[in-house]
Amino acid sequence: MCGDWCEVGMEGGGGVAKFFYVLLVLLATSGLGAESGAQPDGEEARILTLENAWNQAVQQKDAAALKMLLASDLIYVEYDGTLMNKAEYLASVQSPALRPARIVNESATVHLYGAVAVVNGVCRESGIKNGRPYALRERFTDTWVRRSDSWVCVSSQSTLATH
Amino acid sequence: MKTAGFVMIVGLALSCAAAQDATVSGAKSNILALEHAWDQAQERGDATALAAIFDNSLVYVDYDGTLLTKAEYLARVKSNATHMQQIVADEMSVQVFGDTAIVVGTYRAKGVENGKPYLRRGRFTDTWILMRGHWMCVAAGTTPILR
Repeated sequence: MCGDWCEVGMEGGGGVAKFFYVLLVLLATSGLGAESGAQPDGEEARILTLENAWNQAVQQKDAAALKMLLASDLIYVEYDGTLMNKAEYLASVQSPALRPARIVNESATVHLYGAVAVVNGVCRESGIKNGRPYALRERFTDTWVRRSDSWVCVSSQSTLATH
Repeated sequence: MKTAGFVMIVGLALSCAAAQDATVSGAKSNILALEHAWDQAQERGDATALAAIFDNSLVYVDYDGTLLTKAEYLARVKSNATHMQQIVADEMSVQVFGDTAIVVGTYRAKGVENGKPYLRRGRFTDTWILMRGHWMCVAAGTTPILR
């Protein structure tokens, strides 16, 4: 699900790339990048862009981008059942023990309810954790709420997809 | 005069805040009642009661990551292959974001699936939206607690 801009924009991980990446997240969250009079399709596309931006931000350990995507009162349930608030989640992403190499959404579907969006999908993640390689396939459910003209994620839950 | 105006503004602000608190607290109570009704209906295998609290667009993620629609979930509740004898939720908390509420909690479930007894402990997250004056569940998911 990660579009080409994610792959191209984040290669190298330099200061300029990071600047443009944060700019893209800002545009997606604020709606400034959306066409005027956006239809539901446009909102769905915005949400999916934010989902991809989230994956890239985790991969890049980009706390600044994540802070923009996530509500201050975020409820996050990890695939092992651990409950985290926003600060705990950001700390877990930035942990040096975790080095995700690839995070890609295999599928994602958006259900829009006015100023609320529920995204359900499957995510594949692989990398190194505590010095050992890992590979996960998770089904996730994210709830996004529009605040002013920005979308923020208020809840996210993952469950290992065992089949 | 200035003091009277200030007192009036503070009074208005406090009454608005109190009204908002009452709304939020009322929403929380309603949603918790619906969560308990859900558990009871599930134990009874009462698909009709469950159908009334789920929006038609419900997405349900089961313990093993299986994605179910409302129809699939209700069919499973009615199925003889799966029988949940008891479900006890605890540590439930509700966060209200305007017309949206998120419930997170843990549960223990006991039952029989395909002839085999099971005992599960998981964490759930449910998303509720206020639609035409009623709170409806649009998304629910459970994750096994592995540690």
